[in-house]
Amino acid sequence: MSKQAPNIVIFACNWDGLSCVEAASQAGYCYPASVKVVRVSCLSRIHQGLILKAFELGADGVILLGCEPGNCHFDIDAGLVTHEYENTRSILNLLGLGEERLVIAHLAHGDGYGFMKQVTGFITEVEQMQPAIPVKA
Amino acid sequence: MFDTEREIKDTKIHLCLDCGKCTVVCPVAQYEPEFTPRLIAQRRLRRDSSRPHDDTIWSCLNCYMCVERCNYHVKFPEFIQILRAEAFSEGVQPQCSHGGALQSLMHLMSLEELKQDRMGWLPQDIELSEPCDTIFFIGCAPYFDIIFGDLGVNTLAGIKGALRLLNRAQIPFTVLDNERCCGRDLLLQGDREGFLALARANMEEFARHGIKKIITNCPEGHYTLKVEYPAILGNAGIEVMHLTEVIAPLLQSGEMSLGRIEKTATYHDPCTLGRCSRIFDQPRQILGGLTGLEFVEMEESREKSLCCGASPWVNCGAVNREIQKQRLAQAEATGAEILVTTCPKCQIHLKCAQKRSDGKAPQIEIQDLAELAARALD
Repeated sequence: MSKQAPNIVIFACNWDGLSCVEAASQAGYCYPASVKVVRVSCLSRIHQGLILKAFELGADGVILLGCEPGNCHFDIDAGLVTHEYENTRSILNLLGLGEERLVIAHLAHGDGYGFMKQVTGFITEVEQMQPAIPVKA
Repeated sequence: MFDTEREIKDTKIHLCLDCGKCTVVCPVAQYEPEFTPRLIAQRRLRRDSSRPHDDTIWSCLNCYMCVERCNYHVKFPEFIQILRAEAFSEGVQPQCSHGGALQSLMHLMSLEELKQDRMGWLPQDIELSEPCDTIFFIGCAPYFDIIFGDLGVNTLAGIKGALRLLNRAQIPFTVLDNERCCGRDLLLQGDREGFLALARANMEEFARHGIKKIITNCPEGHYTLKVEYPAILGNAGIEVMHLTEVIAPLLQSGEMSLGRIEKTATYHDPCTLGRCSRIFDQPRQILGGLTGLEFVEMEESREKSLCCGASPWVNCGAVNREIQKQRLAQAEATGAEILVTTCPKCQIHLKCAQKRSDGKAPQIEIQDLAELAARALD
């Protein structure tokens, strides 16, 4: 039996982030069904609570997928999410789970190939992380 | 493990005289007229079918002010905890503050085989005794300082101060690098399963290290380890003491002394340390041991101390903010330069009010007692 692919949650911004996911689908790229995409209006909508909730519900890794710098639909850019991203990485470190389980990616509009590369690369990294996220007591 | 009707009986809620004194002293009822302890009790005991879920139960701060005033000492906060557990088991959840980050964090901390890396802040000069059957329970301070860093919160300063005081007192202790949150906030919000997972993980950790005594600086951790764990999981024979209970007698007997701090300070009694654990004198004795420190009491102190407006990280809103501003105003009215407390959650909530009230809340300096006392060590 093949090894189960890690659970990955992608919080994708509704604009460039999601366009990459759609482009990947249209191009017929395949990625594991254990990758779940959650559409958000903007990455600035993301906070520590949402990211930690993903891990609490069993995610092995989380990707924050947003627009390239200077291309934010709301002209917010990464200002708000950077703070939450850095705080959550620090918390993951304290928990002993490792900050590498949370990454942020900024891709150009419609970059399906870039999305695929990001996802498959991240899956490989998460698979190599030790220890795996422990099971609930 | 939990027998709801039995628990309700144990709260003595049936003795409620409907006198309303609880409502008069309740800090929440001052600002939220719909919140009335006696009516919440009536609705539950009469099983009011017109209101299957009483949403006012999430507003209680568990400050124990009502118990203090009640002629029969009806344990209303514990009654509220039962109602919350009932609601929680039916799938009703409160509005989690901070996007539910604290709740998720607590659930993640209960993961089996978790190996935290939470001791990076430990100063080199702290002397730990290994092996030792006494531990200092750090609590969630390392996490708080990240989550609430933007409020200027530094709860680890209190922990470092506490460790320095214990070193000075020559009390041998060690710390556990994989202790979990005590789980009190989950218990208070009705998530008993979540609480039990943390409690069991902690108790296993204590048993594995042969722990006989726990000293802590966190009032919530102190009460939970001392009262809630034995009540729910059985008595493991571990002695639990608050830091002030350890240090104050040494200062009183002259075995330990503190240096000089030329400041005026007032003390905020955390509800859990004061009204729950009845520790009122020891923190004041430590402040009294600081040479040059002028101590002034707030209008409402000791048993009558106003809550900081904290909640178990749920339902925090305008009412809580008004209570926090009221408490800060009371502190300012004393003319004190420093508002001293012993609770990281009080510190977080009061600093939040200072930071997020558009400058309308008094900006008095807030410090942990252990941090302040450790500053006066030579």
